[in-house]
Amino acid sequence: MRLLRIANYQIGRPFAACSRWAREFCDWYQRASTNELRGRKLLREWLSPEQLAQYDEHSYFEVTGCHTGKRYRINHGVGVNICELDDAGRPRTGWCFVPNDNLVAGDVMLAQKIALETDERGALAVARNFAIR
Amino acid sequence: MATQIVMDQNGDSRHNFDAKDAKALLKAERRFKTLTGAGFTAATRTTDGEPDVTRTFDPTAEETLFFPRLVGG
Repeated sequence: MRLLRIANYQIGRPFAACSRWAREFCDWYQRASTNELRGRKLLREWLSPEQLAQYDEHSYFEVTGCHTGKRYRINHGVGVNICELDDAGRPRTGWCFVPNDNLVAGDVMLAQKIALETDERGALAVARNFAIR
Repeated sequence: MATQIVMDQNGDSRHNFDAKDAKALLKAERRFKTLTGAGFTAATRTTDGEPDVTRTFDPTAEETLFFPRLVGG
């Protein structure tokens, strides 16, 4: 009987810990999903109809820089997700700038869109560029 | 009802206020100044849906979006 109790305790303890971790993971995942959805909803509200259609089809949308008229493609993501396009619409240079906070993808993309459409030079002044492969 | 939307780690936080209520308007203006003073960019939308960055509080804006300062990634 005592052995059974010890065995039960030895098995039960790790099982309870695993169960707690699983519950915490589920809570975290649910919170993260809700935040992602909220960010995506806000982005969709601010995209133009053309950008929204493009985003729905390709998971990216294109914007026009307010100073140079250059086209940029903003891919779904939280960084290293902007491509400057050439006249043929092919990616030429990569640009990376992000809000200085840990934001969800929809928020990051919306901030990038507004920055390029309203203050392209300011955005590129802080951005890092990278080669497109 | 006017809204100030602040991007944060939860997606965003929304602050609704009645623009006809002087007290609520003052509070919204204070929030605007606090956020822009902390480096947030404030943006509104024009009637045709284009984003427009604003540096002064507009009491007639129905929706103002705030996002944190941009940095190189």
